[in-house]
Amino acid sequence: MSGLELQPLLLQLERGPGALTPQILGAIAAHGRPLRWAITAAEPLPHGGSRLQIEAVILRSGGHP
Amino acid sequence: MSAAAPLPTLLVIPTGIGCELGGYAGDAIPAARLLAAASGCLITHPNVMNAAALYWSDPRIHYVEGSSLDRFAAGELALHPVRRQRIGLLLDAGMEPELRQRHLQVADGCRASLGLEIGAVVDTDQPLEVSLSLGASGVSWGRLGQPGALLRAGERLKAAGATAIAVVARFPDDPGSEALTAYRQGSGVDALAGAEAVISHLLSQELGLPCAHAPALSPLPLDPQLDPRAAGEELGYTFLACVLVGLSRAPDLVPAAQAAPGDLAIGQVGAVLAPAGALGGAAVLAAAERGIPVIAVHNPSLLQVGAEALGLEVLPAASYAEAAGLVLALREGISPAALRRPL
Repeated sequence: MSGLELQPLLLQLERGPGALTPQILGAIAAHGRPLRWAITAAEPLPHGGSRLQIEAVILRSGGHP
Repeated sequence: MSAAAPLPTLLVIPTGIGCELGGYAGDAIPAARLLAAASGCLITHPNVMNAAALYWSDPRIHYVEGSSLDRFAAGELALHPVRRQRIGLLLDAGMEPELRQRHLQVADGCRASLGLEIGAVVDTDQPLEVSLSLGASGVSWGRLGQPGALLRAGERLKAAGATAIAVVARFPDDPGSEALTAYRQGSGVDALAGAEAVISHLLSQELGLPCAHAPALSPLPLDPQLDPRAAGEELGYTFLACVLVGLSRAPDLVPAAQAAPGDLAIGQVGAVLAPAGALGGAAVLAAAERGIPVIAVHNPSLLQVGAEALGLEVLPAASYAEAAGLVLALREGISPAALRRPL
């Protein structure tokens, strides 16, 4: 448990086709293990689809995800 | 009273986003009680049920910490109802001796007056160093400087036989802040909520036990303008009683693959309710992706992440009273569409 860190994370994600949850978890996983997350803003894009703002707290151990 | 079988229903009111109803001190309890009666089985989280010195216990309401609720909705966990939990008390070493003693006396009171089983008490081996912060959206998040100390104390409680853990962390006092004044007067975000969620999420995820958190704070000076929704937090010296009562009958968390008959699994859930502008949380999205009907309730907050933005089909409800009617309709097998005109 030594070196365990909690860090805030702010992401912008352009939504792709299909289920949303795996897209969000995949985007967060690049930075660490998600402890808590939510979509906190959603903006429609001119060509369709949407851009999502995701706020999260991630867990990192020993300085690595 | 409905003659139909219960319809397990998820109620989510996210913490720390300033919901008009449910953004204060357990002020969603009346809605939860109504929805428990309508559904016969309500699964909800501490932010809905915790009112500091006030609480409500109902065998139809299952008290499940937020990250465990997310994993339940994702199909990873099932809920195993129990008669009682043996609650371990985890105390932040950053608490002053008098404040610590106040919390021990709440535990004593709950043992003596309510008959709760409260077991070992463990202090962390260093202060947890909680700090408060807001995200880009203004939502409350919060930081924990020593997560390892939290987990070490939790492991000691688990080894001592605790089947659920109540955590008390020392939170920073900020009696003169504008945010606190706004919250007490009914117009702000609960600045403590985000850090509370981080603490209970971490502990519950790592230990696999029901967990909930109460912040330890110095008493506030009297505010004659106190909003009734925040009043539950100003009746005593601690916020712990509601947590102990909630955890006392919280269901065990079991891996979904090991669920036994009588356990609750996401496949049994017939509806999920969330504020219409806060549909972008893990539990709601996971439930929606499984085809579970989402009831989007008018309950303004800081967020405007609605059904259209996320491409979700929802049943709109103008209030929790209307939402309870929709839950009852679903429970009775009545199409909600048949209750609206034009057909």
